[in-house]
Amino acid sequence: MRCGNGIEARQVNELFINIDPIQAGGRLTADAMKTVIAYGDGYSVCDNCRKPNRLDYITKPPIAEFHRDVAKWLNMDAVRTVPGARRGFQAVAQTYVNKGDPVLLTSLSHYTEFLAVEEAGGVAREIPASDQKLVTPDAAAAKIEAVKKEFGRVPVLAFIDQVDYQYGNLHDVAGIAKIAHQYDIPVICNGAYTVGILPVDGKALGIDFVVGSGHKSMAAPAPSGILAATAEREREVFRTTAIVGDVTNRKFGIKEPEMMGCTLMGATLVGMMASFPHVKERTKHFDRELENNRIVMEALLSIEGTACLSEYPRKHTMTRVDTTGSFDKVAESHKKRGYYLQSALEEKGITGVIPGATKVWKFNTYGTTRKQAEHLAKSFTEIARENGLAVSS
Amino acid sequence: MSKRAVDMTFQAIYTLTDLRILLRETAPSHEFDANQKAQVQRLLENLERQVGSLKQEILK
Repeated sequence: MRCGNGIEARQVNELFINIDPIQAGGRLTADAMKTVIAYGDGYSVCDNCRKPNRLDYITKPPIAEFHRDVAKWLNMDAVRTVPGARRGFQAVAQTYVNKGDPVLLTSLSHYTEFLAVEEAGGVAREIPASDQKLVTPDAAAAKIEAVKKEFGRVPVLAFIDQVDYQYGNLHDVAGIAKIAHQYDIPVICNGAYTVGILPVDGKALGIDFVVGSGHKSMAAPAPSGILAATAEREREVFRTTAIVGDVTNRKFGIKEPEMMGCTLMGATLVGMMASFPHVKERTKHFDRELENNRIVMEALLSIEGTACLSEYPRKHTMTRVDTTGSFDKVAESHKKRGYYLQSALEEKGITGVIPGATKVWKFNTYGTTRKQAEHLAKSFTEIARENGLAVSS
Repeated sequence: MSKRAVDMTFQAIYTLTDLRILLRETAPSHEFDANQKAQVQRLLENLERQVGSLKQEILK
C-alpha cells in the first residue's frame, strides 16, 4: 500500500510491537494524528498571526498558552519550541561558547551536543562515567578542576544527559548541577529521554536549561522539541534582535536570533501540542512502564548467558543488553547468522531490534500495554528455547 | 460542497484514526477484549453514520 510517489504507507506500529530504543516515546497519540491531518499545510498555524508577529505569541491555535503550560509543567520560566533537541543545544552553545572555550560534556553525551559545541568553536572535555556507567558529581568536580588546570579557566557551559542514550541510565543531574554552579558554570540538561516520559522538575534539578525531544519522548512528529530556561538565562538565550539594515534601516521587532525568528511551526508544533495533555498524564504513571520493562527484563535474564549492561533494577525503559553468551552463540551456526533473531522476532510480531544484532543491543518497552510486555517476554524465551538455549524458570 | 460535508470528511478520518490507535494497542494479534470489541463496534457504527451523511451531502 502506498501513500504516493512510491512512498509505502508505514504500518510498523499497527502490525508489530515496536521496541526500537529511540522510537517508543515518539509514537503519536490519536489527538496528534488528527491534528497533523488538519494542520499538514505549510504555514497552517500562521492563519491568525498578529502583531508582534512571532509564532509563540499566536493564540489561535493556542500556541502561546502551550508555551506557558510547558514552562510551568517543567518548573522553568520560559520555553521555546525547537526543531529537535539538537537545535536547543545549538541555541545555548551559540550563546555561551566562543572559539577555544572549554565545554563540559560526559563520556555518555549524545553526539549532537558535541556538534553544537564544535559549531560554536568550543573544545569538548568529557566527564568520564564510572564503571557502572553513571556520571557522578565527584567525577564532574574532578573534571572541572582538570579543565581549570589545562585552560586556566573553568568550562563556560556544562551539558548533562539526564538519561543517556547509550545505557538509558539515570544520572544525578541535581548533584552535578550543584557542583557546576559552585564554579558559576551554566548547566544544560539533555532531557531527550525524560521530558515527556517521567516527571522533570527543572528547579528541583537546579539547572539553567532543559531540552526535550518532541519526536523522541513527547509523542510528536519529527523534528520537534523544547528548550526551557530559567528567568535569568531566558534573557540571554532568548534575547531579541538588534540588527539594522544599512540601506533599508529595517529592524526585526522581537524576533530572536537563536530561534531564527519564528520557532517550530505547522504539523510538528500542533502535533506536540495535541499530545501534551496525554504526555503530562503519562509521566505520572512511569511506574507502569517500569513494571512492563521488568517483565521483559526478567524474561531476558532468565536466558542463560544474557546480561543487562544498563543499571539494574532499571530506572528507565530504554535498556542495553549483552546477549553475546546467548543469542549470539546461536548466530554462530544458524543459517541466517545474526539475522535469525530479528527474523524470529518479526515472526512473532516484534520489530525494532537492529537487524543482525545478537551481541549488544538496545530496546525500549515504553508505551507497551501489559499484554504486549507479556508477549515480548514470552517471545524472547520461546526463541531462546527453540534455538537450544537454556532458560531458567 | 457544504461545511457539513467537510466536517463529516474530517470526522470519518478521525474515527478511522481512533480505530488505528486500537490496532496499535493490540498489535500484533489484534485480539480485542470485551471493552475493545465494544469500542470497535461503536467506532464502526459512527463511521457508517458519518459516511452516510457525507453521501447525502455530496450526492444531493
